[in-house]
Amino acid sequence: MTVAAEPIKTYHSLWSDAFIRLRRNKLAMAGGIIIIIIGLTTLIYPFFTKYDFASQDLNAILKGPSQTHLLGTDELGRDVLTRLIYGARTSLMVGIFTQLIVLSIGLPIGAISGANGGKVDNLLMRVVDVVYAFPDLLLIILLRAILGGSIYMIFLAIGLVSWVGIARLVRGQTLSIKQRDFVTAARVFGGSGGYVTMRHLIPNSLGPIIVAVTFNIPRAIFTEAALTYIGIGVKPPFPSWGAMINDGNKVIFAAPHLVLIPAIAIAILMLSFTFLGDGLRDALDPRLRR
Amino acid sequence: MSEQPLLEVKDLVTQFFTQNGIVKAVDGVSYNVKRGETIALVGESGCGKTVSALSILRLIPNPPGKIISGQIMFDGTDLLQLPIERLTDIRGDKIAMIFQEPLTALDPVLTIGRQITEALERHRGLRGQAAMDEAVRLLTQVGIPQPDRRVKDYPHQFSGGMRQRAMIALAISCEPQLILADEPTTVVDVTIQAQLLELIRNITKDLNTALILITHNLGIVARYAHRVYVMYAGHIVEHGSASEIYHQPAHPYTKGLLASVPRLDEPRKTRLQPIEGQPPDLIKPPVGCAFRPRCTIACDACSKMPPVLFAVSPGHYAACNMAKPVTK
Repeated sequence: MTVAAEPIKTYHSLWSDAFIRLRRNKLAMAGGIIIIIIGLTTLIYPFFTKYDFASQDLNAILKGPSQTHLLGTDELGRDVLTRLIYGARTSLMVGIFTQLIVLSIGLPIGAISGANGGKVDNLLMRVVDVVYAFPDLLLIILLRAILGGSIYMIFLAIGLVSWVGIARLVRGQTLSIKQRDFVTAARVFGGSGGYVTMRHLIPNSLGPIIVAVTFNIPRAIFTEAALTYIGIGVKPPFPSWGAMINDGNKVIFAAPHLVLIPAIAIAILMLSFTFLGDGLRDALDPRLRR
Repeated sequence: MSEQPLLEVKDLVTQFFTQNGIVKAVDGVSYNVKRGETIALVGESGCGKTVSALSILRLIPNPPGKIISGQIMFDGTDLLQLPIERLTDIRGDKIAMIFQEPLTALDPVLTIGRQITEALERHRGLRGQAAMDEAVRLLTQVGIPQPDRRVKDYPHQFSGGMRQRAMIALAISCEPQLILADEPTTVVDVTIQAQLLELIRNITKDLNTALILITHNLGIVARYAHRVYVMYAGHIVEHGSASEIYHQPAHPYTKGLLASVPRLDEPRKTRLQPIEGQPPDLIKPPVGCAFRPRCTIACDACSKMPPVLFAVSPGHYAACNMAKPVTK
């Protein structure tokens, strides 16, 4: 094929457009980079350390930062840095897996509800209302009692209480997009209900969904930390930032760093996700396009 | 002209159930289109033009809208009786539509190519590269430069006129027998308007496609339509061939419409005559003739007796109590 004339302007798809705008947002990029660094660290660190998150050294308990233990040791002589990094893995897993559960429940329910309307919508939204009205913590405790104590069950429990927000968002999005001409156009050209939903309604609501999920991740992380703090989350000796704060609490005057370090870590990770979410919201906002 | 019409709409009644009452948007409208013919539905905003066209494809949003009664015979089948699965086979394949605003009628997150191939995949069974090649051919046909490149573009990267061309490419992708064009040139400027209308005319001629042109622009009507239906407040008030409507309007509303557009064949000093008043409330339309409150020649009978269409001359009908048959 002969080479056509070079285009005067390079064009971008909507998503690459959004990415360009996201890159201009320094705070969001910082958040994203921190999240990536934390993620990579949790993957790589285990290969480079001689410590294990559970091995105790009772000769060296409650030590401050030093050459051997960069962030000191806790009340059982475990290396704090190691526990912090394994705790980060727990937090990131909680953040990501709960949102996968949330999406796999909330997205279809919201889309079916919004796309169909009428009785189906009414029924599904009443279910959502019931779950929404139920106190989250109570429901999680209840689910924990039913589902048992493995870490995956924590994901499931948190996911099962927080999908309603996404379901409502997706429903609202599909309802408003349904009014737009291109949906009528898709039906004019022979698209059936399900096809229009998959091809037009959901792709057009992805922007706000991505933003909501990004904002939900820190909430899930915090919920896990809170659950572990009150003792119904991750079981010891498996590290979690909530558990570390809980343990450190007992010796807060002797070794305040045991509370401070995981608390700061939670704050940094949550802020990173929040900044990233903020940036994504701005980048994906159609009103700011161009 | 004894041929069976391609589309025959009979006594269509479409209503919208709103909080304030029932809006009788289309109230007993009948019209027909023959193969390859272009008809125009003319009238001011809110007179039921678009609703009567969307009713053909049963795309009235329900709720609140509902087709109450009537018959829409398309190629021998009543579209209103058809199960919805059969209807979706007809939509886009045999009947297509061109929208008023191509920017909102094209999905912003899909490339132009993918939107054109949607219909091809749905109705023609084309897949992958074959569908894409056909999309490129269609874009070439509607006069989009560098179609092999533009097919990968998104709607917001097209200019207004180009978008409407892409919309036309989409509409003709399955070589439909009927195209509904809902004010296809309202949002583009006048120079592009003429190009687009020429394009639509050439394409409908080539494909022998019938066209329902919905517009309020009488200039377009005179030039492009074979026959004209004038709508007012959900009724057809006059219909006939384009030249008859133009030169011998029988209904005072049509006369008013014609007096309110500038004409080149009259001295420039003549002032345009607006039609006084507002279109009636379609929830409680006036008893008798709906146009009576704005009519200059109304009499007592008009406030009691709703006028019915009668032949002013062969093939030219008007619904006015005061109109007289033209004797040739």
